[in-house]
Amino acid sequence: MTSFNVIRWIVWKDFVTELRSRETISSMVFFALIVILIFSFSFSMDQQAAREVIAGIMWVAFAFTGIIGLGKSFSTELQNDCLEALQMVPEAKGAIYLGKVAANFAFMFVVEILLFPMFVILFNLEVVEEISLLLLIFLLATVGLSAIGTLFSALTVQIRAREVMLPILLLPLVVPVMIAAVEATKGALNGDPLALYGQWLELLAVYDVVFTVVSFWMFELVMDS
Amino acid sequence: MIACHAIGKSYGHFQVLHDVNLSIAEGECFALFGPNGAGKTTLLNILATLQRPSTGYYEILGMHGLKDKDTIRANLVFLAHGTHLYDELNAKENLAFALALRGHRPTDRDVKQVLDRVAIGAFADMKIRHFSAGMKKRLALAKAMLAKPNVLLLDEPFTALDTAGTEILRAYVRERLSENGTVLLSTHDHDKTRPIASRAGILRQGTLQEVAVEGLKSDDLV
Amino acid sequence: MTIHRVIRKVQRFQGWFGGGAALCLMVGLYLGLIGSPPDYYQGEVVRIMYIHVPLAHTSLLGYTVLALGSLWYLWKRDPIVDNMCQAVAALTAVFTALALGTGMIWGKPTWDTWWTWDARLTSFTVLLLILIGYLMLRTFVDDPEKEARYGAILAIVGFVDLPIIHFSVEWWRTLHQPQSISMRGVSISSGLLVPLLFMSVGMSLLFSYMLMVRTQLLYLDRLLHAKKGRLLSQFHLSKSDS
Repeated sequence: MTSFNVIRWIVWKDFVTELRSRETISSMVFFALIVILIFSFSFSMDQQAAREVIAGIMWVAFAFTGIIGLGKSFSTELQNDCLEALQMVPEAKGAIYLGKVAANFAFMFVVEILLFPMFVILFNLEVVEEISLLLLIFLLATVGLSAIGTLFSALTVQIRAREVMLPILLLPLVVPVMIAAVEATKGALNGDPLALYGQWLELLAVYDVVFTVVSFWMFELVMDS
Repeated sequence: MIACHAIGKSYGHFQVLHDVNLSIAEGECFALFGPNGAGKTTLLNILATLQRPSTGYYEILGMHGLKDKDTIRANLVFLAHGTHLYDELNAKENLAFALALRGHRPTDRDVKQVLDRVAIGAFADMKIRHFSAGMKKRLALAKAMLAKPNVLLLDEPFTALDTAGTEILRAYVRERLSENGTVLLSTHDHDKTRPIASRAGILRQGTLQEVAVEGLKSDDLV
Repeated sequence: MTIHRVIRKVQRFQGWFGGGAALCLMVGLYLGLIGSPPDYYQGEVVRIMYIHVPLAHTSLLGYTVLALGSLWYLWKRDPIVDNMCQAVAALTAVFTALALGTGMIWGKPTWDTWWTWDARLTSFTVLLLILIGYLMLRTFVDDPEKEARYGAILAIVGFVDLPIIHFSVEWWRTLHQPQSISMRGVSISSGLLVPLLFMSVGMSLLFSYMLMVRTQLLYLDRLLHAKKGRLLSQFHLSKSDS
């Protein structure tokens, strides 16, 4: 019961802080907009070319903004050395992890939902029929990114050169998520039958389960000597 | 009760602590003096379960510091350099959050009482961002008061506190001592510490040497 | 401070590993370069396989040792196990880079390209990135205890990830590239198998020998640093007393 309370309080604290400071989500959204803009300049795209690369651009933008959010998740804990207080919490390390994952997932997912209409408008996508499938893909991939990302956010925040080390350590490890998310999104945007890309959704689900469990177990070792 | 057994800590070839042996009984307040970089904060961090010693071990309340960390944490409060407060939360919310992580749920009356005791009751609903350093220290002290720990670790507690704040802190230390608590504090300020310290020691180059509280002059501390 | 008992044990038989490695590699190289016929399809080019495949095998073996050593360290917290992990990570990174390099050299005449997003090449690249990340991470932590712990965590997470990475890259490849370009084009006849076996065993022995020597070096280095720290602080202490 205490563990559940700790999860709730951590999520509450991150939400309230975000509502009052409006730092994380706004910086993520604006960064993503800039990424999209740069991409559309770098490839001069017609309708046909856009269909081919849009899924890739989308997930590069989501992953990079996600890393910004994940990095902030624990770097804000450095203010007034709050991280020390989290490290000294008796017993509930796993609960802290789950609370942080929930908050990070929520921030990333909100940003993805906010950005998606921009892609639809800027690249003339037709998505009415696949919208629920796309949401499912976003959900599965974001769970994976936040599960492993939260662990490495907590790890890199305690070392030198943390802003550089988070993407350097995290991106190779999320290669499967990126591949699966891009392929599945491409399939859904093309209106392919689900049977053609359903395997990617299964891969994402497996990744989510494996790395939530592994990170949950490892988080205690990150926080606690 | 705190007992250090030959605690050493090194970062590569930089040896911060050297076979520190120290035993503090219940109802005792030990004051740790020493020049900057002597290893005071490292020793407190180790005892607060934040760092692992390179050699040796310690016991707090009879529990092994490397094995029973969670039990120790539940009975210990560490007032560190950082105040462990969130800038975007107000005073009350900070208290509620910190206590919730320890598994406590203080009543509104308790919260109001401790905030009055550290004399920041009027700012209970104000964001910490707008607090001065001294007010933050007082709020951190209020957090410790609500947790009612058996062991209290204080790292340079008098910094940023005014005379009234210092008196509030000393009164709280006396109260913990009278209830058989154990207090270990690091400080540079001999005059402010003398009234509460029952024992004292100087940490130099990572080596601890016990001294008499009364005979200690500020010149000795450099 | 005394030398770790594990080191004293290892020192007694590490020479056998070094000698065995030299012997196996010499026999393997002779059989591979001179004593075996050229491949029916690839001609003389196939001989790079005798270096490339053992290097790749040994890299995977090395990463497995790194993951197991990391688990062992997190369990026992013996600093010498961490020295072993650090040594094995650096060696595995070198072997992986060499495996990638020889793979590229082999690819040029056979596929007419230095690089292709083949599933194995891609997985090995990701593996190399993880290992470089591991070595970088270690240099950015001040506290040796924390350095060891964080390294172990990254190594274990990466080890769990590797099969998933390989699997996903392979799926991705089958969707986007025709099957014709594939490592599996090489069918191994028994004439090639014997030298390959010698080279694989020799490379693993060489890896183990270098690992033992490197671990001792790192361990003695740490002892030396600790000793130096002790002497330095005693020196400063005696100076401040006088």
